[in-house]
This record gives sequence, structure tokens and C-alpha cells, in this order.
Amino acid sequence: MGITNSLIRIDMKKQFIILAAVLSLLTFFSACKKENGYKTLIITGQNNHNWKVSSPILKQILDETGLFSTDIMTTPDKGGDMKQFNPDFSKYRLVVVDYNGDSWSEKTNAGFVDFVKNGGGVVIYHAADNSFPLWKEYNEMTALGGWGDRNQKDGPYVYYKNDKLVTDTSAGNGGSHGKRREYIVRTMITDHPITRDLPQRWLHGTDELYSQLRGPAKNMEILATAFADSAAGGGTMRDEPMLMTILYGKGRIFHTAMGHADEGGGPAMQCAGFITTLQRGAEWAVTGEVTQKIPWDFPTSAGVTLRPDFKETTLEEAFQNIGNYDIAKSTRNLSCIQNKIRSLAGDTQGLLSLEKSMVKVLTDKSASVEGKKLLLRELSWMGSDYCLTAVKDLVSNTDLKDEAEFTLSRLKK
Amino acid sequence: MANKSSRRDFVRRSAALVAGAVILPQIIPSSAFGMGRRIAPSDRLVIGSIGTGSQGMSNMMDFLKLKGAVQFVSVCDVDSLRLAKAKETIDLEYKNKDCRIYGDYREFLEKEKLDAVSIALPDHWHGIIYTAAVNKKINVYGEKPICRTIKDGQTIVAAVKKNNIIWQTGSWQRSLFNFRRGAELAINGRVGKLKYIEVGLPNGNKGIGTPPVKPVPPELNWEMWLGPALKVPYRGVSHWDWRWILDYSGGQLTDWAGHHIDIANWGAGLEHTGPVEISGKGVYPVEGIFNVPVEYDFLCKYSNGIEMRVANASRLPLGMGTTWHGDLGWVHVDRGDIISASDPKILNEVIGENEIHLYKSDNHWQNFVDCVRSGKPAIAPIEVAYRAISVALLGEIAMTTGQTIKWDPEKEEIAGNEKATHLLSRPYRQPWALPTV
Repeated sequence: MGITNSLIRIDMKKQFIILAAVLSLLTFFSACKKENGYKTLIITGQNNHNWKVSSPILKQILDETGLFSTDIMTTPDKGGDMKQFNPDFSKYRLVVVDYNGDSWSEKTNAGFVDFVKNGGGVVIYHAADNSFPLWKEYNEMTALGGWGDRNQKDGPYVYYKNDKLVTDTSAGNGGSHGKRREYIVRTMITDHPITRDLPQRWLHGTDELYSQLRGPAKNMEILATAFADSAAGGGTMRDEPMLMTILYGKGRIFHTAMGHADEGGGPAMQCAGFITTLQRGAEWAVTGEVTQKIPWDFPTSAGVTLRPDFKETTLEEAFQNIGNYDIAKSTRNLSCIQNKIRSLAGDTQGLLSLEKSMVKVLTDKSASVEGKKLLLRELSWMGSDYCLTAVKDLVSNTDLKDEAEFTLSRLKK
Repeated sequence: MANKSSRRDFVRRSAALVAGAVILPQIIPSSAFGMGRRIAPSDRLVIGSIGTGSQGMSNMMDFLKLKGAVQFVSVCDVDSLRLAKAKETIDLEYKNKDCRIYGDYREFLEKEKLDAVSIALPDHWHGIIYTAAVNKKINVYGEKPICRTIKDGQTIVAAVKKNNIIWQTGSWQRSLFNFRRGAELAINGRVGKLKYIEVGLPNGNKGIGTPPVKPVPPELNWEMWLGPALKVPYRGVSHWDWRWILDYSGGQLTDWAGHHIDIANWGAGLEHTGPVEISGKGVYPVEGIFNVPVEYDFLCKYSNGIEMRVANASRLPLGMGTTWHGDLGWVHVDRGDIISASDPKILNEVIGENEIHLYKSDNHWQNFVDCVRSGKPAIAPIEVAYRAISVALLGEIAMTTGQTIKWDPEKEEIAGNEKATHLLSRPYRQPWALPTV
């Protein structure tokens, strides 16, 4: 017995060592995986917009997915020596342009064109479509641009009018935007990997609504538009392109006209719609596919959804926060839970696990009455015997009597 | 108890108005003279109205246009300003001060001797008040959707059958030429054998965020407005906007089911049955107290193989309206006298004498009056209204659960899904209950 015991001990010790080794390997691999996410380069350093705010946020948004590993590289300041700016594009799968400024060196330009022609992915972000009005290849990558003396010589205006795609060669300047405002983004192509399963219409956080963009517009698909109404300030009364894809050589370009950076990113960058489409567009630019799920907080036509920390609230956080719900506070935590219920599609174990989390809130004395009311409405149909004791206990609570009785009556208990 | 005190509250609030009411009816309904529920063609139909909001007033105006056919004698609402406006409208029409007003439908139904009542209320009140009115053997012009839940609908249908009254649903598209014509072409096989129907309903409403609690305006009896729904503090949301809150309504989907789904059923011969399988997805707001789906898209399969897709209009190639697809083509109908087809020749087709001729009415409100007189069923009877809203309510359940729902349209039960079955009804806040039939 003693021998066996010691053998077992050795075995256990060995097992522990093996387990520890496996764990550390796993940690190593997962770190590697993050390290080995699609190498991404954000180019910034000059912009008529606040690039010092936007670039780190873009990095955070991309790295948050776990798919990208992002470096930020800044050019010399305006008027500086662009020969000093020599990114090694060959190290990267994706280049995000957050730049609107001096021309790069010819060598850098050539390197960038080679990168894209050979299959590199590009994200053109907001004012980056203002940049380099005279660089032909770059404008073919952005497809549409604005300002920088762009006019009919640079290509047509492209937009939708009364649901018809219009290529308009009339004379005029490229680029305008009315007053900043929230606006509805309309998904025009619903079967593209980037926009598949998105709501057809969603309200975007306050932003500049880029209008009258014009350019070569070759090999471009307009995935989403926004109607620039005149009432909201200087609109064109057209459905202006907001999200575009462009093919250039073997490369794929995702162009978002959205995301004007205010302090802290502001509503345009905090908008879950901006964040999600950027993440999906970036993945598509690298692989031609999108593996990310549509997040539960993707905005709808009913209202803007902001993420002040640029992260998607998790279910665990929603359950922690719903106990603080009160009238006039955000309903997003409930929406997160409801979304989970729908996505479980009747899975009994999954629903029971949610029910247990709900009961935890119901039995938590510090949790708010209003939060409990919301959960009781859900339990009234998806609850099982598990919740009954907790719900019955609430019948004697004058604040929750109605909701508890409602729940028990619907569950027929 | 809460109910009683609220009634007192209302009486106190609207005391000035109620004091002006005449107690004895001056117009005595024909049905009071032992003629049963029918009235002679020469007599005016004595009618009252419960709910004097936008739809209630719209219906009232449509009835008043019939001039000598009806006599409005009384109105009931939980908003004393609306009530006063409704009385003013009626008194102006008759150049007198006779219109009686009520803040509580129970008192209204108890005291008023009516041939008919026009009812237009938030959906969460339909089950109770429709059933109560029908139990009084009053003929009803009732707004769609006729119920908030399947169970409410079943109760109302049973009450109408038992009491043998005339019921007209506010599905007035049935009384327009293009809808009848489209349905007649479809049901007579002018697009071939029916395979697939598309129903496009309005896109979702804008949100309102999460407004704070506000004082209840003095004209509104908030407790009575809520009635059987769970008690919530007043947040400036009541009239009109109840449409966007699941406690009271299912949104554009349930609002419009009584129009384009109803028409779809009419032209497909599905108005006395329901789907056997329903699956689909909704898009729900993330923020705010408006929580109905703003986008929706679900597919219903019927036992005869027909499929019906119901979605917000921008998801469908032809947008709003009903499109019947057969193996030879399609016909589409929508508001604005729209009727179109895959081949314009279809629209010139003549329906032969021995083919199906659908019920013809050119005025929905006149049709109700005529039927009360004749005792014949109205063009939008209760059973078909119930089958139309059932489609939307089952779609709502499929979207809420994220599951494919199996429905037995004969037994009117969901098969093998206890959780989804819970969603077939919505308990009432005490002391409210569905009246027994």
C-alpha cells in the first residue's frame, strides 16, 4: 500500500508537473496567438483631425477582437523630412490609414502600392479619404475622396438617390458635411461578409456626415449609406456612401467615412456601429471573410449605442450591473440578457444557467427593485421550477408583489 | 382596491365634466323595443365610443359621415381632455349638448343602452373591454389587433360566438377595391397555384431613450390607463406611444397584422386557420423603454404547403403590402390603390360567375351598420381578425424565444414547448381579470 501510495504521489506530482507544463504552454500559445494576430500597422502623425486621440482608439478597437496585433507608426510632423518615414509594409497584413497630410516619399508610396497589389489589406478611416489628392493609386484605393481641391477632374460623385445608384459627373467640389448629428446608416448590401446580419437601419452617434465624395470609384461596392437631409444642416438630400469596399490588385480595402474623433473618441468613435463595422471591415480586408459575431449592442434604428470604453459589455457584467438598474437609467444590461436568451434558442441548460444568475439578483438584498422587476418579466416565461422559491418569496414584498404574482401566474405555479 | 380608489380619483378629476352629463338616454336604441339586436332599416343605430384617441375619433368621424344611419350618444375615455373634445365633436354634429361622457367603461356599459359600440384602445385593454362589451350583447366595431395575446383572442372569439352579436374589425382595407381585387385574383388561381406570400409591414419606430418619472397630467387617469398591465410610473408615455412598448403592444408588426396579414389570409383562403410552423428573427432596441422589435422577419409554414414571410418592408423586394406568389406569377397590393402583377394581363382577368367572389363592401363603417340591421356577418368578423393577429403573435413568440414554433391551428396550442406556451397569455394585474364568457 505504502509503495502504491508513494507511486501515486509520484504520479500525481508528475501529473501536476505535466499539467503545469501544459498550462504554461497554453498560456504561451495564447500569448503567441495574440502576438500573432494579423500584424496591423496604423499610420498616423498628421491630420486635420485629432489623430492623437483616434489612433490609440483604433488600435484598441482592433486589438479587442483578438484578431489583430497592431502597431502605430507616426510620420514626421507637417513639413518634416518624409524620407525618415519608411515603414516596412512586408511585416504587415493590414494597414490602417489615419493620416491626412504631407505626401510620403516616392519610395514609401511605391512600397504601399506594392503591398496592396500583392494582397495587403487596407482600412481607410474618415479623413484619410481627404489625403493625397494627387496620388493616383491611393485615390483608386479609396475610390472616393473629398476636399484637397478634388473636383470633376478626379472622378464622379457617387451616391444613391431614390434608391438608385447614381454616378454623377457634374462639375463641383468634392467633399462636404453638414452640421454634426446622429444619423441613420442604411445597409445597402445585406449579403456581404461585413454587413451580413446587421440591422438594415441603425442610428450612428453624432458625427460628420461625409457628403459629395468623388473619385475614380472603380471596383467599389457601397455597403452602407446615410441620408444627408437638409433640415439637419446643409445636407445634400442624397444617400451618401458611408461604408465601402474596394478591390485593388490582389488587395482588399475597407473604407469607412465615419468616426470623427472628439475628446475621448466622442460618440462617433464610441458608437458600437462604428466599432463593429470597423472590426468586421478590417478582418474582411485581411482575409475576405468575417468570423466575428454581430455584438448584442449593435445599434438599431431606435437609438444610438455607445461604448465609452470601446468594449462590448459581457453577460457577467450585465448581471453585475442589472442590480443597479433604476428608472431613467440605461436599459442595456437587460438587453444584453435578453439577447442571450434569444441566442440560446431554447437550450434548456443554457436557459437554466441564466435563470440561476437571475435568481441570484432576485435574492440579493442590495439589488434594486427596478432591476428585479425587469428580470421577473423575463422569468415569467423562461423560468423553471428553479426560480419558484425566490419568486414566491417576493410576493410578500410590496414593491414586487405584482411582478412576482405575474410571474407565478404565467408559469402556472 | 387600487381600482376603486383610482375610480374615485378619476371621478374627482373629471367631476366638472361628469356633472354635465345627462343621466337618462334621450335616444332609445331600437334593440330596446324587443327587436333583439337587429334594428329596422329606418332606424338610427344608437352607438357609443370607448377610446377617443386618434383612431377612436377617426372611426367616430367615419360613422358620423353616414349621417342618418347612426346616432352617437355617449363616449368613454380615461383622458378627460379627449373626452371633452369627443363630446364637443358629437354635440356640434347634433347641435345639442346630449352626448354623455364616462371615465370608466364599466359604468358606461352598465348605464348605456346601445345598439353598437365603437372601441379603439391600447391593445392591452382589448381582452377585457371587448369581452365585457360583447357579454352585454352590444354589437362591436373593434380596432385591430383584436388582442395582445392568443388567449385574449380566444376569449373574445368565444364571447362573440356565444352572444351572437355582429362584430366588425377595423381592418378597413377589406372594403377597398384594390385589396379585394388582388385577393380575388389570388384565390381564383390567377397567379397559378399559391406557393408563397410576402407581407411587408412598416419599419420600426425611433426610440425615446429612458425618460425620467413625470407628474401624471391632471386629465389622465393613469391607473385606469394601465388597467391590467403591470404598474409602472408615468414617464410621459401613454397615448400613441404605447405602441412601442411590449407590455401594451407588439409594435408595427401587431399593429399592421390586421391589415396586410389579414388581406394575405383573405386571398389565400387561410382566414380560418393558422400556420403550423413559425421561425424568424427580430432586431430589438438596445437602449430605452421602447422595446418592441424595430426589424422583424419570420416565415410561417401552412399545412397545405403555402409559406408566408412577414417582415418589415425594407427587407422585401416589393416593400409594404401583400404579395401572393403562385407558380404562374404574382399579384401585389398596397395602400394608395396599388395593385400590380408579374404580368399586367393578370390584372385584366375576369372572375367568372362560378368562381369565388369575395365579400364586397365599399364602406367599412356602412358595412357594419348594414350588418347590424340585417344580422349578416360583417366583412371583417372576429374569427378572421383573430387568425390574422395570431400570425403576428406567433411570430413574436418565435422571435422572443429564438426558436422554431410548432403551432396546431385546430387545437390552437403550441406543441412541445412549455416556455413558448407561457407566452400565449399575459397575466392581468389584480384585481383585473378576463371576464368569463
